[in-house]
Amino acid sequence: MIKIPIKVLVVDDEKDFVEMLCLRLKETGEQTSFAYDGETCLDILAKSDIDVVILDIRMPGMDGIETLQKIKHDFPLVEVIMLTGHGTTETAVEGMKLGAYDYLLKPANFSELQIKLNGARNRKDEQEERIRRARTKLLLRKSGDI
Amino acid sequence: MMTEITILLVDDEAAFRQALSRRLNKRGFNVLQADSGSQCLSMLNNHSVSVIIMDVKMPEMSGIETLRQIKKKYPDKVEVILLTGQVSAQDGVTGIKIGAFDYLTKPVEIDHLAEKIKQANESIIRKEERIAENAFREKVAHQMAAAERLASLGTLATGIAHEINNPLAIINESAGFLSQILARQKMLQIPCRKEFELSIDKIITAVERAGKITHQLLGFARNGHSDYTRVDLPELIAESIDLLTHEMSNRNIDITTSFDPLSKEIMTDPFQLRQVFINLLSNANYAVGENGRISISTANHGQEVAISIQDTGPGIPANHIEKIFEPFFTTKPPNKGTGLGLFVTRNIIDKLGGSIRVDSKLNVGTTFRVVLPKCLEMQIKAFETENSATDWISHIKGESYHDKNSD
Repeated sequence: MIKIPIKVLVVDDEKDFVEMLCLRLKETGEQTSFAYDGETCLDILAKSDIDVVILDIRMPGMDGIETLQKIKHDFPLVEVIMLTGHGTTETAVEGMKLGAYDYLLKPANFSELQIKLNGARNRKDEQEERIRRARTKLLLRKSGDI
Repeated sequence: MMTEITILLVDDEAAFRQALSRRLNKRGFNVLQADSGSQCLSMLNNHSVSVIIMDVKMPEMSGIETLRQIKKKYPDKVEVILLTGQVSAQDGVTGIKIGAFDYLTKPVEIDHLAEKIKQANESIIRKEERIAENAFREKVAHQMAAAERLASLGTLATGIAHEINNPLAIINESAGFLSQILARQKMLQIPCRKEFELSIDKIITAVERAGKITHQLLGFARNGHSDYTRVDLPELIAESIDLLTHEMSNRNIDITTSFDPLSKEIMTDPFQLRQVFINLLSNANYAVGENGRISISTANHGQEVAISIQDTGPGIPANHIEKIFEPFFTTKPPNKGTGLGLFVTRNIIDKLGGSIRVDSKLNVGTTFRVVLPKCLEMQIKAFETENSATDWISHIKGESYHDKNSD
């Protein structure tokens, strides 16, 4: 089976972390882009097709939660995995309530990340599929009316 | 009603002593007698006396000298009223300077003396109250200082943990990337492959260890979310034991449990409580040598349950007991303990509305006793946020349980 690359956007203000994580994801066949802050993240989402955003919660400027809210508002189909340095699930749970797919603690286990990335991409595919079907139904009904 | 005042009457003249003693007895005072300064001093060793009435003129040790020794030995415990002859009023003045409460000239007028005794007694009570108050203040100040130290340490530790997680994540990804590269087809035959793999493994394991520490640190400081649910206490304890069984059976450690059927179920956060049991059990496991014993028992206390974890280890020295709940206090070698286990444990228990106590005897063993509210009346849906759980706990703690449970 041919692997379909996941289009991942890594967002973290730690440049070295972003660089290494992107290298690892590329090594496993994913397509990566990156941003060091929330604003750039939103710019990239507006210009390119992204499946999953890996988003750090603690960032200077627009923080992860705020960025997440904007992503979910402007690009509801894009899935988000939160990265947190917290030992707490508190912020992560807040993120989940706002529509994040899942969260990971930093330093994260890579195979766990891969599992979650695949899950997130599958959820996005299913959502898109559902919308497609609904549109088709709508179209069919409309043509039936005619 | 006034408590009986105990007087010690010191005079070398037996007849005078007897007469005065009788008269003071009649007025409700409890009177002891001594015939000399040295007898007075030795009696003070084993009698609780509030007021001493003492003749100044005595053979051997004079009243003034006796007074000096009394004030040196018991500066705040007893008041002294001196009795002087009319010609030697100067002795009274000297006595006051040394610390006598007052002096009266012989022959004494009994009403006047009784009044002085009462005043002297009140002065002693006030002194005792002041001492108790000072001791209490000191204790509170000490506790406050310890609490503040903990709080600022907590803030500092949390900050450090956050700052360390990021570089840890970078190390983690870099080492992970290296092992991915090693897995590439064309890398399979490179020289020193084993050594590369070994080193990378070590880096990743060390990062995991460091990550555990920072998450533990952050875990205690979290103001987050407790998920309350109905918990089967024996089951939760058995689960926690299971997690450590492997290590225990290796060293032939005997672990016994005894559960009170009346405290089977409680309402609490099972994840946090399990962490408490794991922490306490691993400490017990570490403390007991080979063939040691660990026993866990629960006991029902009305609306609370007490869980005791007892070990037959060497015990905790008295000078460590105060420190064991402080962060980073550990007696284990550096790679064995973070010094955070009991600190986190106590924080969790506080949050769950309970308390923890430790009793330890050297060469006998240590018992940790955790008391938790059962919270059985609690409705799960009311606890979507941490605040409501905390509110609820303070609510039930401030109220009588019986009112709520009368049905």
